[in-house]
Amino acid sequence: MKLLRAELFKLRTTNMWWVFALAWVLTTGIVLTVNCFNAHALLKPFAQYVSIQTHGHETVATADAAHLDHLRSDWLLGHNTITQASTIYTSGQLIGLLLACLLAIVLVTIEFQQLTATSTFLTTPRRRDVIAAKLGTALIVAGLAWLVTSAISVVVGAIFLHQQGYPTHLGTWAVDRSILLNLAAYLLWALFGTGFGTLIRNQLGATIGATILYLVGSGAAGALFTLLNTYVIKHDWVLTAQVVVPSVASTVMISPTKTFDQSPAPWVGAVVMIAWAIGSGVLGVRALRRRDIA
Amino acid sequence: MTGRAVDGQIVVSSLTKAYPGFNAVDDLSFTVDPGRVTGFLGPNGAGKTTTLRMLLGLVAPTSGTATIGGAKYVDLQQPIEVVGAVLEASSAHRGRSGRNHLRAICIAAGLPLGRADEMLELVGLGAAGDRLFKGYSLGMRQRLGIAAAMLGDPSVLILDEPTNGLDPEGIRWMRDTLRDLAAEGRTVLVSSHLLSEMQTMADDVVILAKGRLVRQGSVSEVTASIAGALHIEVRTPQPDRLVDALGPLDAQVTTAADGHLLVTGATEDQVGEAAHAAGVPLHRLAAATADLEEAFLQLTHEGAEIR
Repeated sequence: MKLLRAELFKLRTTNMWWVFALAWVLTTGIVLTVNCFNAHALLKPFAQYVSIQTHGHETVATADAAHLDHLRSDWLLGHNTITQASTIYTSGQLIGLLLACLLAIVLVTIEFQQLTATSTFLTTPRRRDVIAAKLGTALIVAGLAWLVTSAISVVVGAIFLHQQGYPTHLGTWAVDRSILLNLAAYLLWALFGTGFGTLIRNQLGATIGATILYLVGSGAAGALFTLLNTYVIKHDWVLTAQVVVPSVASTVMISPTKTFDQSPAPWVGAVVMIAWAIGSGVLGVRALRRRDIA
Repeated sequence: MTGRAVDGQIVVSSLTKAYPGFNAVDDLSFTVDPGRVTGFLGPNGAGKTTTLRMLLGLVAPTSGTATIGGAKYVDLQQPIEVVGAVLEASSAHRGRSGRNHLRAICIAAGLPLGRADEMLELVGLGAAGDRLFKGYSLGMRQRLGIAAAMLGDPSVLILDEPTNGLDPEGIRWMRDTLRDLAAEGRTVLVSSHLLSEMQTMADDVVILAKGRLVRQGSVSEVTASIAGALHIEVRTPQPDRLVDALGPLDAQVTTAADGHLLVTGATEDQVGEAAHAAGVPLHRLAAATADLEEAFLQLTHEGAEIR
């Protein structure tokens, strides 16, 4: 417990906490605004939606057929108050989860980047305990980040939906589940980040590596597994297997609808995320215990 | 004092750290006793820092043991209440204040936060405690390191090159502080390559070269042990005749740049009598005083290159 307190103290006695806090609040605010604008358009009848999307230049009668089909597809997916409420209440999730992962990585790697590992491990020679305290800190901060960003999104979003004359859907299980799954995702990415940072102690390498894995992992996995399915193993399970990539697993877990045609159940995504987090954490701690602090 | 080790004695036994192609520390054994300042000397790359880090559980030995009061560092329940260590002056977060750096250690070790303030006052950083670490001079960083090491009021202090970068006033402060701490009965092990400083600071020395022990003992013992190998300086108006006169003594004679002779392998008495017998006048006859620097250079001569 004292190690956890020490780690929380270390976090709040540098400028790191407010840099991350600012990033969380800003991204939530920006994405929330965008989501509200989108909801405003998507929840209108299709004819009005077309007019809004084309800035009044076209109508259902004048629009190009292909463009109209595209608009109709988007409108059908989003023309649902439950979907819009879920999206608005989890605003900023994409960057928010990445920030939770990066914060956890920085909590570990900063010991090597700032040369404080010597001082830390002299005070607490049992290195596993130090990493456990850092994990606890990352989970607490990720939980707080979810709480604050969700509070902003839910309060502003509920007011917006109410003013627009739509139900807020607070209390609707599908919406509440999205908010709770968002919390699970924050915690799992913090867990994953701690393991990743322990495994790769170079701060720049770990943060850039995790960011690439997070942001382009889904696209790269989709392309790779599609190629495998097309040319090597022509079975659907190959496409399902792309859930092994962390960012795909995360999306599968939090998405209210199927992420792709062959995507498995959300719990599979959660299991994959936990497996990644525990795997990297165990490997990282084993490596750290053997590593010379020189 | 809380959590003292059995007797504060440091025992290094057959300690080895092997890296591919060479041994940084090679079958090293020595002891360090409480109540004394022990200088840990050696050329760059001799293995001093690696030895200290193995002693503190930061580097895993390939073989051998290093104990403090009979226990390995990693097995100590409250390590910083037994051992205080200063290993590098830049080991605090640049964006954190000195006071908060110490407070974080206090929290992790279960010590009252007030210890941080006390130690800042002890090392003369009370007024600078709330400044960020990145604004500290090297001397202030060394003082902060001492403050961190003293937080747990330890009975053993281990310092790696603590006078590096200090101004004369800082060096004097460090010397007086370490001598006072040893006088209180604590074990003080301090590595340095500032040999003149060690001569005034240390009671004992452990001399290392190429990862191996070269000599251990009190400063006076170590300097005396090599005194016989030191030269005698002779000044005479008839150097050629003196060289002939010293021939039967089997001594080595060389001529220094300023013309005086340097004799090794003979005592002052022998040189004086030989000159008298040959009727050679002497204007100066003096044995060089053995000092720690001379002893160190002689003892580590074979292993002085940086590895």
